[in-house]
Formats: sequence, structure tokens, C-alpha cells
Amino acid sequence: MIKESYRQADDNELVTAALNGDKLAFGEIVTRYQKMVARTVKGMLGDSVYSEDIGQEVFIKLFYSLSEFRGEAKLSTYIQKIAFNLTLNEIKRRKRFFSMFSQKGNNEMYEFEVADHDSQGKNEAAEIVNKALMKMDPKFRIIVTMRMLQGYSTKETAEILDLPLGTVLSRLSRAQEQLKNILPNL
Amino acid sequence: MDRPKFKDLLLRSLDQNSDPEELSGKIEEAGVSFSFSEGFQQKVMNKVYNAGTTVVREIEFIKNLNYVFYRIALPGIAAILLLLVSIYLMEGSFSFNSILGLGDNYDESIIYMLTGI
Repeated sequence: MIKESYRQADDNELVTAALNGDKLAFGEIVTRYQKMVARTVKGMLGDSVYSEDIGQEVFIKLFYSLSEFRGEAKLSTYIQKIAFNLTLNEIKRRKRFFSMFSQKGNNEMYEFEVADHDSQGKNEAAEIVNKALMKMDPKFRIIVTMRMLQGYSTKETAEILDLPLGTVLSRLSRAQEQLKNILPNL
Repeated sequence: MDRPKFKDLLLRSLDQNSDPEELSGKIEEAGVSFSFSEGFQQKVMNKVYNAGTTVVREIEFIKNLNYVFYRIALPGIAAILLLLVSIYLMEGSFSFNSILGLGDNYDESIIYMLTGI
């Protein structure tokens, strides 16, 4: 199979080829979905070196769990779930770290994430989005990331996050309220 | 796009009745795009097919070990407690000999077995 044909292959064909040891097929999956993973991971964790590591971990985990992918859901949904879980684990790890060394709780963690940003050279719009996301509660941040950056519908978001539709709708509305309070200060 | 308009676009993108795909496209057009650094794909491929394989397998092994530990830790503690309670009920104390299952009257027979005297 020449390289061009990988670009035209559908996800299931690439998965089958990757499972048969075809490195180029897995490489195409990484190329195809790295931007999507970047939006989720960087939207949730901020634009730091850690995000890049988590991004790599997402694809490594995908590689080892490819055999479990049955093709019932879209590959993009499957990858999003991995990205979401790993990012959430990282947020929990940071939270534990900060609660161990600080009495100030979550607020300080958010400030750390903002300070962790490499916002140099970024345009104004990107900086507003980054700062707004980092000031949000993580459980709202993921909903906003899915909607605002990935363009997922409420139903798709509920499916990826394994949440009831009603929960997603209520979080979306509360996230919008939180964003209304955050944006005037940016 | 000016600042107030952009902020309004961000808020509208969270409206339940909005079209998320269309609005996320507009947000991206305004300059909000996320990507990993140059050579990201190559780094992933190296980790998957070379050195990273061992590391990931080790991590998986530790995770599995952790999982098994939590599964056996509670039954293990429960078994130890039961054993201690039964020793206390049978021997009436927690002396070293009673934990080892040795009574005082066994001492001479052990010496006889070991020395033949």
C-alpha cells in the first residue's frame, strides 16, 4: 500500500492494518487525529509541555487498546474517550499534588495552570480562550472544550463523556454562566 | 474580529440551541487553534515501536499489580484479624509462642528431637 492510499483509507481499514503490524497505518491514525486530541488535551490542561506528553500517551494507549476497538462507535469517539480519561487523571493528579502542599485548594491549581501557559506569540483570541478555560471548573471545562473547540453536539458530548444528556445540558448552562463572569475580566 | 464580538461568539457557542459545529469553525477562524509541536507523530511512533514499548508495559504491569493489591489487601487483613482472634480465644494470650503455635510443654520435646538427649 503506498502512502497516498493510507490518506484515502477509512478508519476501520487503518485499524485493521495497524493491528496487523502496519506502522504506516498507525502513523496515519496519529496524523489524522492529533489535532483533535490537541484541542481536548490543551483545552483542558493548557498549552504546556505536559499537554504534549499526555497527547503522546493518548496515542500510545490507543495503540495498546486497538484490539478492543470493535468499530461499533467512530474511531474519533474512541480516541476522544481515551484523551478525556487521561486528561482527567492528570487534573486529578495535579489536584492531589496541590492539596498535599497547599491549604488554598483548587483556586491555586487553576492559577498554576494559567501561569504554566506559554502564551507568547499567541494571538489575542487564543489567549482569551486559554485563560477563560483555565479559570473554569474542570467539570465545566471539558464540556466547553467539547462544544466550543471540537464542535460536538450535546448528544455527542454525552456519549463521549458517558454522561446522561440532562447532566450535559445542565453543565453547559452552568458553564455558560461561569464564562459570563470570567470574560469581562479578560 | 474585535474583542467584544469574539467574547460574544464564545458565549453563543454554549447556547443549547446554537450550531456547535458552525460556531467552533468561526472560533477557529478567529485564530483559536491547537496543535502539538513539530514531529509529534514521529515521537509517538518512536515510543510505540521502540523504547516506549518497555516503559508502557512496565506501567501496565505496575497498574495491574496495584489492582491486584487492592483486591487482596482487604481479605488479607480480614484473615489476619480472624487468625489473631482465634489464637486469643484458644490460647488466652498473644504471646510469641501462642502465635507460633508452640506451647511451653513442647520445649523439651523439641530439644529431644534436635539433640537426641
